[in-house]
Amino acid sequence: MLWESGFFTAEAWSDFNRRFYQNFIKDDRYMMLVDGLRSTIFMTSGATIIGVIVGLILSVIRVAYKGGVPIPLLNKFAECYITVLRGTPAMVQLLIWNFTIFASARDLNTQYIAILAFGLNSGAYVAEIFRGGIESIDAGQMEAARSLGLTYGSSMRYVILPQALRNVVPMLFNEFIALLKETSIAGYIGIDDLTRAGQNIQALTLEHSQPLVMVAIIYLVIVLLLTRLVRKLEEWLSRGRR
Amino acid sequence: MKKFFVLLLVLALSAGVCFADGGKLKSPADLKTEKLAAQRGTTGQYIAEDLLGDNKALLLTTYEKYVDAVAALRQGKIRAIVMDEMPAKRFLNEVEGLAIMDEALSSESYAIGFKKGNTELVEQVNKVLAEMKSDGTMSAIFAKYIDGDYSAVKPENIDFNAGAANGKLYVGTEAGFAPYELKVGNGFIGIDVEMCAHIAKKLGKELVIINMNFDALPTAVSTGKVDMICAGMTVTDERKENMDFSDNYVDGVRQVALVRADDYEK
Repeated sequence: MLWESGFFTAEAWSDFNRRFYQNFIKDDRYMMLVDGLRSTIFMTSGATIIGVIVGLILSVIRVAYKGGVPIPLLNKFAECYITVLRGTPAMVQLLIWNFTIFASARDLNTQYIAILAFGLNSGAYVAEIFRGGIESIDAGQMEAARSLGLTYGSSMRYVILPQALRNVVPMLFNEFIALLKETSIAGYIGIDDLTRAGQNIQALTLEHSQPLVMVAIIYLVIVLLLTRLVRKLEEWLSRGRR
Repeated sequence: MKKFFVLLLVLALSAGVCFADGGKLKSPADLKTEKLAAQRGTTGQYIAEDLLGDNKALLLTTYEKYVDAVAALRQGKIRAIVMDEMPAKRFLNEVEGLAIMDEALSSESYAIGFKKGNTELVEQVNKVLAEMKSDGTMSAIFAKYIDGDYSAVKPENIDFNAGAANGKLYVGTEAGFAPYELKVGNGFIGIDVEMCAHIAKKLGKELVIINMNFDALPTAVSTGKVDMICAGMTVTDERKENMDFSDNYVDGVRQVALVRADDYEK
């Protein structure tokens, strides 16, 4: 089919080149993609930081409550938070943050709103990842720490969390790879992220496939790089483990 | 091996083309039983809905971006796009194998949209619009774009009145609607953009363009995200219930059907 359609002829190749020039080279249009990528990475990094902090706090609350610390209200809050933010689409949350909660914040850079929305959303998922990690640590560790005279907080901080962290790092990275792709909906609130940059090029050149395929390739390359990084990190973390 | 399959998948996705065949289309009346498309939230969508009647759920597809609709048209997934004439002409000029039906579906007017009850700003803008019409500024802006070639227009040549004394004027638009608004590099060009830049200057404000999806614009203006919508928006009774409008700044905007040249028989 591809062959019949003249996909590999010299004409098709020169047409491809012409369109490539139109889409990416002329008037430095590739810079739109570069700026978009910058925005995507900025949002993902910001949301990652918020996600880890929020996730850590929520998971500690839930685990501590289960471990006997009397914080029923905080625990209820954490439960509700996780239920609501995991139970609604990120897209809907983003629109609510932008058009309802921050309706009057006009001078605020929209990217910050997106970072908050994606970060808080990601926090709910990270919380569950952390909780799983903490609960995977043998109960004997906590008992041993407590019997050595450490408080519950210190045991958590110096004994449990470092071990849990080591277990959850791969899953955490997968969450952020997912987050990177999720930021592609930021165009809905007017942020020119990588996806939107591709659409802006489409609107300029009226060409459909090349900008989108290019955007897809850029995402893929970044995800592959990150995946490789996770693998290296995993190897490094499992050093000295039997 | 895995990489090979990934490559294959990317190729298959980008080359995925489906073909359909139907009878020739002669006039908008023939569109009543055809697969149609429009940009979501535009009057093109409402016209197509009226045209299709009970079949709209089955036959109408709405897209966020015109480029998507045109791709679907070329691939034969739809038979016609109902849209404004000037953007349709741009597709006609730059994309092969398209045609515009001679007979228009309707004729409309564009105006600037405001939050319901923001009478003060509406009056200020109407005053500037009237001035622009009488002193020739408006026709000069239109003349710059009307022949379809505006590659010479650069965003940096449009004065957004940065650092103006009276604060900022936030204008919402969907910058995939040339010649009215188009994103070029980091900036914007277009009839609406230049008009708003002029309005902002007259009001002593700095123009800030907020680029979003067309169907998000009414929400943005009613929640106060933007002060006004300038996006080639047609005044309709339905929209008037939720928004206030300025005086029309362009009349006689024809809504046309963009079809494939092969399908069209005059």
